[in-house]
Amino acid sequence: MTAQIELIDIDKHYGNFHALKNVSLTIDKGSFVALVGPSGCGKSTLLRSIAGLETITSGRMTIAGKEMTGVPPRHRDIAMVFQSYALYPHMTVEENLTYSLRLHGVSKADARKKAAEVAATTGLSELLSRYPRQLSGGQRQRVAMGRAIIRNPKAFLFDEPLSNLDAALRVQMRKEIRALHDRLGATSVYVTHDQIEAMTMADWVVVMRAGIIEQQGRPLDLYDKPVNRFVAGFIGSPAMNFLPGRIADSGNSVVLDGGGSLPLARNVEPGRTVIAGVRPEHLQVRGDDANFHLEVGVVESTGSATYLTSRDGNFQLVQSERTQLASGDRVGLGIDPTRVHLFDPETGIAL
Amino acid sequence: MTRTYTPWFLLVVALALAAVYLFPLYWMYVTSLKTGSEIFANPPTFWPREPNPDIYPETWARRTMPVFLLNSVIIAGGITAITVILGTGCAYVLARYRNVWIDIGLFCVLMLQVLPASVMVTPLFVGFNQIGLLNYPRTAVVLAAAAKAMPFFVVLVRATFMSVPRELEEAALVDGNSRVGAFFSIVLPLARNGILVCAILTFMSAFGEYIYSKSIIQSPSLQPASVGLSGFLGPNSTDWSSIMAYSAIYVTPILLVFVILQRRIVSGLTSGALK
Repeated sequence: MTAQIELIDIDKHYGNFHALKNVSLTIDKGSFVALVGPSGCGKSTLLRSIAGLETITSGRMTIAGKEMTGVPPRHRDIAMVFQSYALYPHMTVEENLTYSLRLHGVSKADARKKAAEVAATTGLSELLSRYPRQLSGGQRQRVAMGRAIIRNPKAFLFDEPLSNLDAALRVQMRKEIRALHDRLGATSVYVTHDQIEAMTMADWVVVMRAGIIEQQGRPLDLYDKPVNRFVAGFIGSPAMNFLPGRIADSGNSVVLDGGGSLPLARNVEPGRTVIAGVRPEHLQVRGDDANFHLEVGVVESTGSATYLTSRDGNFQLVQSERTQLASGDRVGLGIDPTRVHLFDPETGIAL
Repeated sequence: MTRTYTPWFLLVVALALAAVYLFPLYWMYVTSLKTGSEIFANPPTFWPREPNPDIYPETWARRTMPVFLLNSVIIAGGITAITVILGTGCAYVLARYRNVWIDIGLFCVLMLQVLPASVMVTPLFVGFNQIGLLNYPRTAVVLAAAAKAMPFFVVLVRATFMSVPRELEEAALVDGNSRVGAFFSIVLPLARNGILVCAILTFMSAFGEYIYSKSIIQSPSLQPASVGLSGFLGPNSTDWSSIMAYSAIYVTPILLVFVILQRRIVSGLTSGALK
């Protein structure tokens, strides 16, 4: 794999605000990379820096091997899909699609032909003479995609492109974008605050917080081996449960402050205080051999799964079987020892 | 019932105020058609007994109105051109950049609006005299009045630019356009309505400009219609029907333009360029 985009020690200040702190990232050619994190973590700033819409304070970047630090956006040969789609309201769909071609001196006939091809692949053929205001949300989204792919750019940048769509359309567009990426063999960078989008679409997920990269890796690696409590809590839905406790004298279990204990698959320094992390979907309801007990608060059944929330509201579990549990019941829970995560209570780093 | 009462009450107030303001307009048209004795009749007549439309061509020719009106058009056109070209650029910068200097700039622009023309005219006159601008009196008036018209235009057009989403410009940049190119091909077309409306309003108020023209332009052949009108008001002048006919000729074209464009002007001012 060769690197398509390379970011080296990128720093970005807005006045006193340090938006990106020494970010380095290599994006392989043909890969689909998701930048994910809570709002204000710097993911959009990083994307806009790649596009050249933000000038970086220090650091370097290359796109397709060429030095791009300080190069204006129009010379970077990248395409971007904006959250609001940013379709030009005074141009028809066709004019929107061909805008970049016309700027690059492509002849009118060639541009029209290209627009027709792109419209066919994105399902816009009937809509070429319409104006953006006459389109539905999903159609506008497709025009924005078409406008990006028509130029065959070095990289696609997506800035939360699905957040204005309703839930069903979002799931559908997720697949379409991924399919398009595969068909074009393109390099894509995708910004989202929705970890499900990141997990399902990307080959490589970059979790950011407060201007730094907390962890990057393949989606399932992040799920299985989060390096700290933040990533553990951010990846996975519902979020991981955190239980304070202390390593037992034997070293192979955690005595929970709230009562009960969790088995461990390895030995840890006895007596150490820890935060144990267990994912809601890894907990099983057990009878006698339960590791700890919980009072049930809210029960939500979706048919395929049941979501249980504890009475105190800060513990969740997911059951794939139907359950007879009701609010107020006391339930015993158990877990596979290999699925217990441990974090340092001070630093949050995984142990 | 109070819910319907309030709007009706406000509507009545609005109509009453409009009537106070529009009555002189009606009176102008009516008086222009009356004979000398009827004008001073008591009680007054609300419709002339013997309408005399001949007063219009007669006043038109006797007061050399074509010259005055042409000067008005030249001066108002000059004011509008300078205001639109400079004001549009200024408004764009004030809309797109945010920092202390922009705030100071905006404050200074608004200060221009606060200073009344009658206060500014004397220092301007002295200044123009020293640099020899008084030899080109219409140019001098255009410069002075354009500075006066600028704040109103800049503030309104700035609001129009702010309604054009920044992402559109960024999309154009990524698509391969330059800052300047994006401004002309994306931002300007979308702000066009707002700019046009403000330009029309600027022209209409410049068409009635009086203070600077009266003070700076001495030669009657260069004076605009507003100053020409004041030429009637000599110590012995009581030629009210001619004055009213002159006023009617002067005001009617502007009035017509406003009535025709009224809907677009209101929507352009309130809604911005797009939703």
